[in-house]
Amino acid sequence: MHHEEVFTDRNVSEHSAYYYVDIENYPVTGWDKFKQVVKRAAKGELFVGLWVVMREMIKFDIHTVQYPKEKLPIGPRYRAVHKLLRLWESGYERCIGCGLCEKICISDCIRMDTRIDENSRKEVTEYSINLGRCIFCGYCAEVCPELAIVHGGRYENGSEQRAHFVIKDDMLTPLDLLTAGEQSEYPGFGAIIPGSDASVKKTPLAY
Amino acid sequence: MINFTINGQPVIANKGETILQAARKAGFYIPTMCYLEKTTPCASCRLCVVETDKTDGLILSCQTPPTEGLGVTINSERLEQERTNIMRLYDVNHPLECGVCDKSGACDLQNKTLEFGVSAQHFSAKDQHRAIEHWGMINYDPALCILCEKCVHVCNEIIGDDAITLQFGGYKSAVIPKNSEVLDCTFCGECIAVCPVGALVSSDFQYTANAWELSQIPATCVHCSAGCSLTYEVKHTSTTNANDRIYRVTNNFEHMTLCGAGRFGFDFDQQSEKNEAEFTKAVEAIRNASAIRFSALITNEEAMILQQFKKMLGIKLYNEEARAYQSFMAAYASVSGKMGFGGSLDAIKQSDGIIVVGGRITTDNPVVRYAMTSAARHNGAKVVYMHPLEDTLLQNVVTQFVKYEVGTEEGVIAMLASTLLQDADINDEMRKFFADLDEGYLCAESNVGDEEFIRIAKSMGRAKRKTLIIGSDVLNHKRAANIARLCAMIETYTEFSVVVVAPSVNTIGVSLICDLDADNGGDGVVGYNAAGEYTMGSIGDVMLKLPSLNSQEGTFVSINHQVLPTNVAVAFYGYTLNDLANALGLKSANTIDYTAQLPVAKGFNGSSFDDLGNFYGPLGEDDRGYILENIDVEIGGSLEEIEDLPEFNGTVVYRCNPVNQFNAYTARTSQLEKEATLSGSAQFAAAAKITDGDKIQIVFAGEMQERIFKLDASLKGTIALVPAYDVAYGAMNEKYRFEKVKIMRMGNES
Repeated sequence: MHHEEVFTDRNVSEHSAYYYVDIENYPVTGWDKFKQVVKRAAKGELFVGLWVVMREMIKFDIHTVQYPKEKLPIGPRYRAVHKLLRLWESGYERCIGCGLCEKICISDCIRMDTRIDENSRKEVTEYSINLGRCIFCGYCAEVCPELAIVHGGRYENGSEQRAHFVIKDDMLTPLDLLTAGEQSEYPGFGAIIPGSDASVKKTPLAY
Repeated sequence: MINFTINGQPVIANKGETILQAARKAGFYIPTMCYLEKTTPCASCRLCVVETDKTDGLILSCQTPPTEGLGVTINSERLEQERTNIMRLYDVNHPLECGVCDKSGACDLQNKTLEFGVSAQHFSAKDQHRAIEHWGMINYDPALCILCEKCVHVCNEIIGDDAITLQFGGYKSAVIPKNSEVLDCTFCGECIAVCPVGALVSSDFQYTANAWELSQIPATCVHCSAGCSLTYEVKHTSTTNANDRIYRVTNNFEHMTLCGAGRFGFDFDQQSEKNEAEFTKAVEAIRNASAIRFSALITNEEAMILQQFKKMLGIKLYNEEARAYQSFMAAYASVSGKMGFGGSLDAIKQSDGIIVVGGRITTDNPVVRYAMTSAARHNGAKVVYMHPLEDTLLQNVVTQFVKYEVGTEEGVIAMLASTLLQDADINDEMRKFFADLDEGYLCAESNVGDEEFIRIAKSMGRAKRKTLIIGSDVLNHKRAANIARLCAMIETYTEFSVVVVAPSVNTIGVSLICDLDADNGGDGVVGYNAAGEYTMGSIGDVMLKLPSLNSQEGTFVSINHQVLPTNVAVAFYGYTLNDLANALGLKSANTIDYTAQLPVAKGFNGSSFDDLGNFYGPLGEDDRGYILENIDVEIGGSLEEIEDLPEFNGTVVYRCNPVNQFNAYTARTSQLEKEATLSGSAQFAAAAKITDGDKIQIVFAGEMQERIFKLDASLKGTIALVPAYDVAYGAMNEKYRFEKVKIMRMGNES
């Protein structure tokens, strides 16, 4: 039986969703206990359980997740290993190399190399996160002004060494996956909140 | 003294001070955007407006001196409104690229925008496309430019290049190169330093690091004798290399000026590991050496260690450059009675009469040039430049150019002294010396007419604060001692203060600390940044690598006789000279332990290294190291008769490095232009029978050099310029700078 929990009224009453469960009294004397055992055993409750196992085995409809071949989907706001996203339309990297993630990182595990490119724009040539130091606090994703660095769904980060890194090539959405529409927006901290368009003001323009 | 009030509080201003200066001194804050202490007010931002009780309108505090009893209000609702509106106008269409802008938050516009709470654009104008300009080492983004004019003022008034100007066009205004398509200047980069926004940036540094990531290391520039304060800004090299690298050099542009070599020539550090076998060899080499030959690119502390070697091991010390300076100053002191000359860079800046003799100041010591430009622009100083070669970089500053023949410095300075000492109170013996001068002969041989000295006397007669700048040509002149005595006469008996431009960063320090011997070559010489049988140091292909000067802590003695500390910008993992000293029996944990032991007899005050400051105060107070005491010495020198003036005929070359090049360090930096041509005029080319682009061979200062000849339209006469910064151990500052050479044509490259 499914109950909609009404949080406004947690008192047990006729109007609320809560009700008392009818539980028999526990046996007290030895004789009562003996009677309960015989009653349960004679009803064959043991075979009910055994039958369920038997039935599922014959059906070959096994619910066990075949890890590591199979992985359970993770909550979209979970903070796992980082990803660098691309712009949907142009495919350019979103990261502008402002260095705020590097600055805000409380475990000092982000480093990037930047340079001036041929078009006089700032280019990020390398980006690395030391996962051995990262505490997955999510500040980098939250501070990112371009929604470029986000947390992805890859939660395995075991390694042979304490210091191990993800670099730009690992994190950046490959172009083929982008065109295939495989890149997904991160809904966690730092993402645009629904309805934020309404709060944007226009610059007064003379033309 | 002028008494007036700011916000009702009494404030005292000195004569000549503006309201803004007095307010800042008294601790009042008036916001500014275009104000630079060292230039005349740009008066372009109008943020410094104040109200007074004697005017109706608002006045600019940066250019208005207070009057007695004036009541000034520096913050009121009206002023706040005025200033906020100015900031709103500044922010119109300013690109919102703060995230990638090279200022990375160290931005005056950003600070003031936040200060006045401008969070939206209140005015509008049609946005326009403005292309980014690439001017070699400088990039200019007109979209970011707020037209404060600081760069233009500093280029014109302090540097003297006068290379940039404002193109007025209302909303389309921009900074443009003056009278030229591309920027043609000495690339001092001071415009980058003063730019309050990210409009003018170093093209090498741009987008490589954010300001907050860089560690700032206060140090002293090692390229010339000015000993400028600078800050090395370091960060790890890359994501894969954790070793520090210098990303840029910044300076306290409010109070001092840096040249291009200091600003862009910073990556001369080198690395080494500890190789014990080589170290043992070096120790043995020093133990068995007859002498150590070293360059003046050395700290006082290391010079002190070498001096200890001399005492302990009985070896000789060779440094011909410092020895020439030492004997020059010894002769100087024998007349003046003071160990050092009396002038300084500040004295030059304050002067209204300047004479420069015997040196190409613009390339020898840019800071002296900047001080001269400053004096000319701000005090209307008369500048007399006496040299065999005219210098086009000084053309806006020099009021009288006096050309003399090569080698006749003694005669010229004698005549100059005779002119300046005309009315001085000197004794009969000296008077007789000047009376006995064969003026006809000296004028004829030096090719300087009588009327030129009369003109000098006239223009200097009107000046109140006068400086004589002696270039490094005379230090290695055959008659240097007599020249020194003549210069000392001028300083002692006239109002002139004298500045002798030493060639290298620590020529003065070495000359004070070390007892130097005459270098006669010989066997068993260990070279420290110099030639020798065993070589060590940081210059050239040496056997034992020692740290470069930006990997060392220690002190230098500058042209101001100031003991200036420098610090380690990039860690060096090999051995230091102090390690060698300890292996040889001296005991000292660090090189800087010797700072406190520097000779008190020479004017050092015994301060230890950690007690030395290295910064400018907010009002420009110089808190860098300390000034040497100018010790009294015995007077006893007398003038010698002027010898026959030498003649240099035919093809004569002058040792002169190109702009921003000084020594072997600048030669190996990545950004500075490494022009290494023999450059001469058409007349020289005709005399030497060579043409532009010819590959030539010359023997200069005993060394064979192969160079390309370049025709330089800005040069005149039959003297060519030959650079020396790129020879084996650099500079050749120990040789007389003029030499008659034979030029062999090897072919033509073009």
